Amino acid sequence: MDTNLLVAGIDVGTECVKVVLLREDNAVAGVAIVPTSGYFQDCIREAMRNALTEAHATAQSLRATCVTGFGAACAASPTRTLTEAACQARAAFHYGGTPLTLLDIGGREPKAVRVSEDGRPLQCKAVRKCAVGVGTFLMFAARHLDVHPTRLMDLAVAATEPASIGGYCSVFGEVEVIERLRDGATAESIALGCMYAIADRILEIQGIEGTIRATGGVCEYFPGVVRALSERLGKPIDVLPAPITSAALGAALFAKDLAMA
Amino acid sequence: MAGESKSRIKKIESAGFMRELMAAYFHELDDASQTGSAKVAWCTSVGPAELLRALGFLVYFPENHGALLGSSRLASDLIPAANAAGYSPDICSYLTSDIGAWLRKTTPLTRAFGLKSVPKPDVLVCSTNQCRDVQDWFAFYQRELGVPLLCVNSPRNIGDLTSDQIAYLASQYRALVPKLEPIAGTTFDIDRLRSVVASSYRCTEGWKRVLRSACSRPSPITFFDGTIHMGPAVVLRGDPRAEQYYEKLGAELEARIAAADGAVEGEKHRLYWDGMPVWGKLRDHAELMASRQTCVVASTYCNSWIFEALAEPDPFVGMARAYAELFIVRDEPFKEQYFTRMVKDYAIDGIVFHDAKTCPNNSNNRYGLPGRLAEKLGVPHIVVHGDLNDLRLYSEEQAATQFEALIEQL
Repeated sequence: MDTNLLVAGIDVGTECVKVVLLREDNAVAGVAIVPTSGYFQDCIREAMRNALTEAHATAQSLRATCVTGFGAACAASPTRTLTEAACQARAAFHYGGTPLTLLDIGGREPKAVRVSEDGRPLQCKAVRKCAVGVGTFLMFAARHLDVHPTRLMDLAVAATEPASIGGYCSVFGEVEVIERLRDGATAESIALGCMYAIADRILEIQGIEGTIRATGGVCEYFPGVVRALSERLGKPIDVLPAPITSAALGAALFAKDLAMA
Repeated sequence: MAGESKSRIKKIESAGFMRELMAAYFHELDDASQTGSAKVAWCTSVGPAELLRALGFLVYFPENHGALLGSSRLASDLIPAANAAGYSPDICSYLTSDIGAWLRKTTPLTRAFGLKSVPKPDVLVCSTNQCRDVQDWFAFYQRELGVPLLCVNSPRNIGDLTSDQIAYLASQYRALVPKLEPIAGTTFDIDRLRSVVASSYRCTEGWKRVLRSACSRPSPITFFDGTIHMGPAVVLRGDPRAEQYYEKLGAELEARIAAADGAVEGEKHRLYWDGMPVWGKLRDHAELMASRQTCVVASTYCNSWIFEALAEPDPFVGMARAYAELFIVRDEPFKEQYFTRMVKDYAIDGIVFHDAKTCPNNSNNRYGLPGRLAEKLGVPHIVVHGDLNDLRLYSEEQAATQFEALIEQL
């Protein structure tokens, strides 16, 4: 085994940039998550620097780098650029349990990826256009509920029932948050209502069937969305380990393939 | 990405001849409009253009102008003017961009062909076979310009075309004649109509030959090329110059087939495009597909200008049948069969359904058709949400993600 082998996977998302560094035995040598703010290039550099520091390595020691996500084009000279569906499917395969339907719920547009037994994406369908911007929607809700976004889930857990937020457009959904506040709904019920609003839009994607698992940053920070999905579907939904970095992990696994080819 | 700026779109040599034809077409209209040397009729794109030509009208197509507004990316700036005049952003964006252009006194014809404005009509003639929006579109100009509007009412959602439906339409075309003669200042001549319809049919044959060339592997032409090269089939059918054009283009494409010179270098995947093009993104889509060695070889849209029924001996019956048997006028079972045939004929690997927000009649994903086809044919598909002209309804990133996801499945 090449103990010096080090590869990187980068997921340049709309809410966060994630970097995963892998060794040949798939041991994670470094992980970094940097909130997306300003130019993607700066965020990528910062995330890579943090991950390399954790791995006690330098950029020169990287044998291959694969990149995915909304801002993938901003990464400097990657070995390969990949789709999010391919990376998430690869991560799901890595963790086992394929074939399955993987719900990728990130900051932008939730997707349902049908993953084959050998980890290939067979089909990838996104929510309708008006339901995109999930991360932004939750950030907006947190601002109007006057809590830090990470506290939104704490509020939702304390709710007895969700407030009704049903608009299929995220902008309409945001207006509904304000309307519910005006109508006197509790912050807790509105927080939970936001989770259900997202779950309901995801369930409008055709072909969510079989074994279902979820991943993406929303699952990491707002597990209420997964709980709402599970309740609506009437069956449990497992979440991939470290869901916010799963696409970066998938990219790193592809990078390892390239480095060892 | 850096280093990827070189275009992958291959040039079609006949395009120069097409530009000359289109320029001549618009200059003739402009001259007639300014000098009165000929009468000008505005007509829907799959309406009775042959009848108008037979009566001596020069024919202008507002839908073609709509497409030019889209491809020139002027549409999104002009639509708000129509919205402010009471035309909803949810209705046909050809309509809203065209009316917006009229209200703002601008046209892409100025930059493209040097025309100061669109040619002024002496009559407006529309058919509701594609949608009802055309009627309201033309009615705007009827009020604005005080010119007569004649409308052919078409049945829709047709399964098997019946003799009653054909008779109903043919009688409406015949009824147009006495209304059009005084405007045209000519007397109707059935032999002249037969001659124009025969020319239009030969144009159809030529255009069909062009589109069918894409059955070859690699295909010498893409859907994106087709949306440009269909120009003469839309605006000049019934005029021998359109026939000449497709003879030339067909020969060029056949030479490319013989040389195995594909439109997409290293063609690996073959897609079908259903619905309208996103006019303002044609080049981007063509480049993206070519960069993935994917050729969009066939489409519902380009095939909608094939009018085989024009071969009928009675030209009125021929027009009635041709303009009623179009895909857009048909019911869901017909459409399902149509897709099945196209997927087989063109060896399609995947289907792109464009859900155009403002064009429901050209968005065939809305009643479960993609799912039924996937089950029947086992061909993967995606639905791309966008619009023909209003780019505010289109997300570049979302569409690219969908395209890439589809190609990855193939």
